[in-house]
Amino acid sequence: MILIETGERSERAFDAKLLFASQLAARGHRAVIDDRTLPPKLERYQKYEAAPRLVDLSAVQPSRVILIGAEAVAGETLLALRSGGIGARTPVHMIGRFADRQGAIGAQAKVAYALGSEPLVVDLAQLQGAALAPNAISPLAAAPVARLQPGRTPQLFVVLPVEALEDPQTLPTLAAIDNLPGYRLNVILPGKGKEQVKATRYAGLNVFGYTELSPAGFAALADIAAFCGDNVPGERMAAFALDMMRSGRVAIDCTTGSGFIAGGAPAVRGPADLAALANYVQHTVLVNRAEIGRQAQKSPWLARHSVEPLERALGLVPAEPAASGTVAPRTLFLPTNGVGLGHARRCSLIAEAMPEAARPAFAAFPSCVPLVREKGFDCLPLVQKSADHPEEFANDLLTYLRLSRVLRAGDRLVFDGGYVFDSIHRAILEKGLDATWIRRGLWQAGQTLGAALDRQRAFARVIVPGEAFEELNSDRGGAKVYPVGPVVDRLAPLDAEARERAQAALARRLGRDFDALVVTMLGGGVAADRTAQTQAMAALAEARSGALNLVVTWPGAVVAPGLAGWRNTLVVQTRNALSLCLIADLVVSAAGYNSFHELVYHGVPTIFVPQMAVYMDDQERRARAASDRGLAVTVLAHEILLLEREVRAMLDGGRSGTIRAALAAADLPAPGNAEAARLILGEGRP
Amino acid sequence: MHDRPRIAYVLDPRFPGGTSAAVAAELRAVASVCRPSVHLVTSRMFAGQTVAPALAQAFSDLALDPIWDAPQIAAETVILHNPAFLKFDAALGRRIVARDLIVVTHENFERPGGAEGFDVASCLDRIDRGALALTKSLAPVSPLNRATVEGWARRHGMPGGWSLMPEDWFNICDFALKPPTTEPRDRRGRHSRPGFEKFPSVEVLGQCFPARAETNVILGAEILTNDAAPSHWQLFPFRGLDLERYFEMIDFMVYFTAPTWQESFGRVLAEGIAAGKLVISDPATARGFAGGVVPARPDEVDGIVDFYIAHPNRYAAQVARAQEGLALFSPDAFVRRFAALVGISAGVPA
Repeated sequence: MILIETGERSERAFDAKLLFASQLAARGHRAVIDDRTLPPKLERYQKYEAAPRLVDLSAVQPSRVILIGAEAVAGETLLALRSGGIGARTPVHMIGRFADRQGAIGAQAKVAYALGSEPLVVDLAQLQGAALAPNAISPLAAAPVARLQPGRTPQLFVVLPVEALEDPQTLPTLAAIDNLPGYRLNVILPGKGKEQVKATRYAGLNVFGYTELSPAGFAALADIAAFCGDNVPGERMAAFALDMMRSGRVAIDCTTGSGFIAGGAPAVRGPADLAALANYVQHTVLVNRAEIGRQAQKSPWLARHSVEPLERALGLVPAEPAASGTVAPRTLFLPTNGVGLGHARRCSLIAEAMPEAARPAFAAFPSCVPLVREKGFDCLPLVQKSADHPEEFANDLLTYLRLSRVLRAGDRLVFDGGYVFDSIHRAILEKGLDATWIRRGLWQAGQTLGAALDRQRAFARVIVPGEAFEELNSDRGGAKVYPVGPVVDRLAPLDAEARERAQAALARRLGRDFDALVVTMLGGGVAADRTAQTQAMAALAEARSGALNLVVTWPGAVVAPGLAGWRNTLVVQTRNALSLCLIADLVVSAAGYNSFHELVYHGVPTIFVPQMAVYMDDQERRARAASDRGLAVTVLAHEILLLEREVRAMLDGGRSGTIRAALAAADLPAPGNAEAARLILGEGRP
Repeated sequence: MHDRPRIAYVLDPRFPGGTSAAVAAELRAVASVCRPSVHLVTSRMFAGQTVAPALAQAFSDLALDPIWDAPQIAAETVILHNPAFLKFDAALGRRIVARDLIVVTHENFERPGGAEGFDVASCLDRIDRGALALTKSLAPVSPLNRATVEGWARRHGMPGGWSLMPEDWFNICDFALKPPTTEPRDRRGRHSRPGFEKFPSVEVLGQCFPARAETNVILGAEILTNDAAPSHWQLFPFRGLDLERYFEMIDFMVYFTAPTWQESFGRVLAEGIAAGKLVISDPATARGFAGGVVPARPDEVDGIVDFYIAHPNRYAAQVARAQEGLALFSPDAFVRRFAALVGISAGVPA
């Protein structure tokens, strides 16, 4: 365990510490940070970077200490070193860029006095030469990042100072670049730059904040990076450029001061004028991309500024990468919890279609954990978002920590949900995961995918489980988007005789006879209150002497107390609603993805009462697609009288029989469970 | 007067603590045999600081008229005190012309373990480039200081033209001697500037100043405020307590430093001896006082204190012997040695 300290105690120094600790961690060294050194104010993304590294020094003993920025050691740092519980035998390395020999001697002496033992000094001025970023605190050593997928569309990252937004031509120029074929544009802006852009009509631009990803995370995404502004734009961007060059990618120095090239870095000189960048990238860089990268990698300057000489100076041996094939990759499903348990159910169906060798397991929020475990999968519990947390993303920080601990490079991560959390995005990029995003294909009119899809590029593939009816498949598609058939649970079909036997068995178990079995499952009330509709169904059942109305909810769901008063209505809390639906004469259901497809594919006569909310898929369109084909009935939530008529028509008018017959004859697409599983395992379509 | 050798002192008068006091005492002592010219240097090391009070007082008392930053200094003998003051400067910044240039090495050239104390080679080089002298000598202030100069020379090589003086240029200890108590009690204390180098670890301090002691007084204790200091320590900031009052509060002075640093002379220990206290320190520091300081490891301190409390006569004898030893560092002893060195008669008034 290597404790990283800085000479100064400041926000800038803390960021440098984070940067260096992350870089060491990426090399397999367990770099940690004393939690007492956290500055009072941290940016959101810095918290993600810091969280896995923080330790309580009263509980752990570092095996060594690395003090960066040692050319200026503040008294506060010396006091912390003196009283920080660092053992006298713990080796302490000081890394600094010392102005002269006296600077190194003096700094060493100061630390030696505070520690009571002699530190070892690494002088970056001798090891690397001049610093790429003036006054850098972090050692800024280039490290290679994972190889990019061959054949993908090149990703151009443009790093801009926030002042660039003051130029009215900046955003139109970027928008023009964004529409050029041949490469995709990404913009990196410091401070509030991202928010500023998102508040304009250029919100469609893909913008990152400076600290949104680690430099290595940016380098993992980028093929080409152009750095604009007056000079090298700070330590993070210098580290990003170094990792780019070390990884054989292109760093373009567009700074007016030629900061990178003047410092000796093997960057290519680009235009300082943003308007000229598009042509420069198109006609100079893209055609020579591989050669530029190769030449950069051969640079003696880059060799001096690489992480290996620094590791040697510190006596650090990088962790050996796990030999390929020694440990089979695991497949971790992470379904968001959303409104109900739909994501978890869908993931579990795909996981069930996988061979055991894929080692499917889950990370899930508390409401989903029993479902997942009941299906026989290991499950890492996650923490639910709560208004009681100090920050809205506090639970996601924990998710990030847990994912970081359980996942290794090469593992598969399958995320099912609409919004890619920071935790997931970071884990994919930092761990080099083979990531799959399962996302819905049915969107409401006017819903934009833009913000949700910003992070799509971190995924190796996107699987869009299809809808039963073609016109509902409205995903915009893309190079790595794979539509599959509906992911749906399939139980053995029951004929009329089998249904009767099952109903009789249920009657015996409940100790009551019935001649009509109705299942009502209108949702848990998170997206929309369905108390009135559920009560209406109870009232309808009460009016029929031989009816039994089962109100089915998830275990633990809140049940309206008024339901207890009905004689012909029982509340059933189960995760196996489909089994009850299969033997029902009528189901009254919301039209969520899983329920809808299970009911349609199993030929169950259903009245769909869609739930609608701005963040949900379009349940009404889904329900109407079935009812327009005579395969179900759609009743909107406010149509209570219509609901009553339709229930009578189903139970008394023979409509349920008609629908059952129509469903039996319907030509539905083949389920996509197995295909989705194959795609996740890399065995599907190319 | 013209046939008397001219003596010039060169120093940055702003260095604090024992070094200033030692040079002030030296100027007072040599005033009996010569009237040196005093050249003051504005080095970058002490930027923003003022002249040390002890030196200012000496200049005033001796009616010396120091010259600031003269471009040229010429004398038969030039004595430059503490070459470390040049460690942040690019050059000496003046011309020294002398028959003999003596550089008094107050600051240890090496720290315990062999790490360089400062960039010695560069400082000597700056002096070398700025001085025209027939002889250039390094004058250590103590046996320990000498050992660090010799150790440095072994590791890095003595620069050409420099030699090491055979005798130490010791600090003058001209303190009023007070008799020891006849009934020593377990009342311990230490005083120093508050730098990190002056203090051992909290664990070692805990051994030196335990709860069982009747009194534990630590003067110059600024850095201990972060260490969750135990309540049985009485902590005072530097100059937060009058020295006379401080010495009244203790019978034993227990002085250990960071293991990565060593006093070059240990004037603070001499102060303790003169004040009639039994002084305990690490063996290396104690060695400079020829038996006047009781050498010990921190874990031996309790036993030593117990012994002397049980044997008051031995306590008194030890303090008396230590005070006799201070005579070795008396002004007279210094002047005799100085006069012989610069070629003047010790008996002739200036």
